[in-house]
Amino acid sequence: MTSSADMTCHELMDLVTAYLDGALSREERGRFDAHHRGCARCQSHLSQMRVMVSALGQLERPVREDLSAEHGRMLGLFRTRGLHHREQRTRDVPLGLGSELAAIGDHVGCFWESEREFDAIAGFLAAGASLGEACVLIGHDAANERMLAGLARRDLNVGALMQENQLQVASVRSSAEGLLFEVDQRIKEAVHRGMPTVRILGNLNWERGTAGWPSDREIMRIEAHITSAAERLPCIVVCAYDVTTLPGPMLLKGGLECHPLTFRRDCLRHNEHHVPPERFLEELSAGPG
Amino acid sequence: MAPPRPCYDPAGWRGLGTSDQAASREDSALLDALRRGDADAFARLVAEHHASLRRVARLYVANSAIADEVVQDTWLGVIRGIWAFEGRSSIKTWIFRILVNRARTRGVREGRSASFIGALPAETGTGPDWTPPTLDRGSSPEQSLLTKELGERLRTVIDALPSNLRIVLWLRDVEGWSSEEVCNALAIHETNQRVLLHRARSRARAALEPYLEGAPGGARGR
Repeated sequence: MTSSADMTCHELMDLVTAYLDGALSREERGRFDAHHRGCARCQSHLSQMRVMVSALGQLERPVREDLSAEHGRMLGLFRTRGLHHREQRTRDVPLGLGSELAAIGDHVGCFWESEREFDAIAGFLAAGASLGEACVLIGHDAANERMLAGLARRDLNVGALMQENQLQVASVRSSAEGLLFEVDQRIKEAVHRGMPTVRILGNLNWERGTAGWPSDREIMRIEAHITSAAERLPCIVVCAYDVTTLPGPMLLKGGLECHPLTFRRDCLRHNEHHVPPERFLEELSAGPG
Repeated sequence: MAPPRPCYDPAGWRGLGTSDQAASREDSALLDALRRGDADAFARLVAEHHASLRRVARLYVANSAIADEVVQDTWLGVIRGIWAFEGRSSIKTWIFRILVNRARTRGVREGRSASFIGALPAETGTGPDWTPPTLDRGSSPEQSLLTKELGERLRTVIDALPSNLRIVLWLRDVEGWSSEEVCNALAIHETNQRVLLHRARSRARAALEPYLEGAPGGARGR
């Protein structure tokens, strides 16, 4: 099966890496070998390439150091920072809201009243984007657009971030399970790609009552679930609550009772009113009372 | 509609349980051990990859202190990600993906960055049939030809390569990774990987020609 077209020296040299990788088709390989047999220049070229690749493989690794201290340090990280420890998370990640620091697994209720406060929330995603973290927006279109505009104002290239999937807009589902699944998939996808942390910003409240949108009850259910989900996943979740339009029960239960942390007046605080998810969900399914 | 579990349990939620089947048995066992908080399992993982992570990090960033920070960030990423990692790639590939991600972020900040986007023409066609590599380092007659001088030259040449070429060349030829491993870690297509490797090797060979000429086997053909 030889081709009538002879291979030129130039063609052969272009194919050397594919040849050494065993990636040429049988036909190409035949043409390669045929030319190689009769061409001293290409024999020398291929030989040099082999010699060099072989030499690279023997390249002395940078000075062998004793890495046992380093290994010990990494082991210390595992012992103290693993997500199997639920308490005493280290707060060392810039939250991007005020000048606060967050810990992995944080679930923050962010209450806003003025337009200025709302626009400042984009700082949460901006901090993540500049740290090379993944950012996921989940909410209604108008809020998402304002957040994206806020990122652009902070000199971030929104188009490039979205193209590289570092910044994503998740679909809103009408059930808590659907929403949780959506968020869960985004986190796992980002982790698979080697992203260290995923920031999730939820704006679920403006389109209350429209078809296909989660009901208040479903939003409360996902809020409660998110708290326990976030404990073992490399994520930080911020949920924005518009205090000017939301009804009291939603602010009280979805906002205040479902977030272990709250952000208000530029301060991140532990929320004494937080209700443990198990109890919250139990009471919610038992109905109002 | 069955009521949901009272609380989210990543290990029991859909996704993790099923996709772990894609991982090798050793990786699944390792992942389980890490999730249980088994420090010995983590220590073995560190012993296996730490040195190699440092070398690869060094390809991206300006000095070894930054490289060490990148490697520490990588292990933190592993520690935090073990519940969300689904085993869609090997653990080794995943760790290096985290490293590359961390190193690129740092590299961008430090002004020494590698980008695979836009570095290559659009791909066309499909890959050729895969056959085992013909390069067999172990039995190569050139086995011990690496002189001190050639070694130094190689380092200089590698250092002068654009970072995207340098990284592919280093992983394939110095670390001895397979083409598949490199593609997975860098999230690039096999065709791209080969083009980058070929460019890197061609530049290095051209720069080293005088040294390769005199090397044993240098003019002998195969």
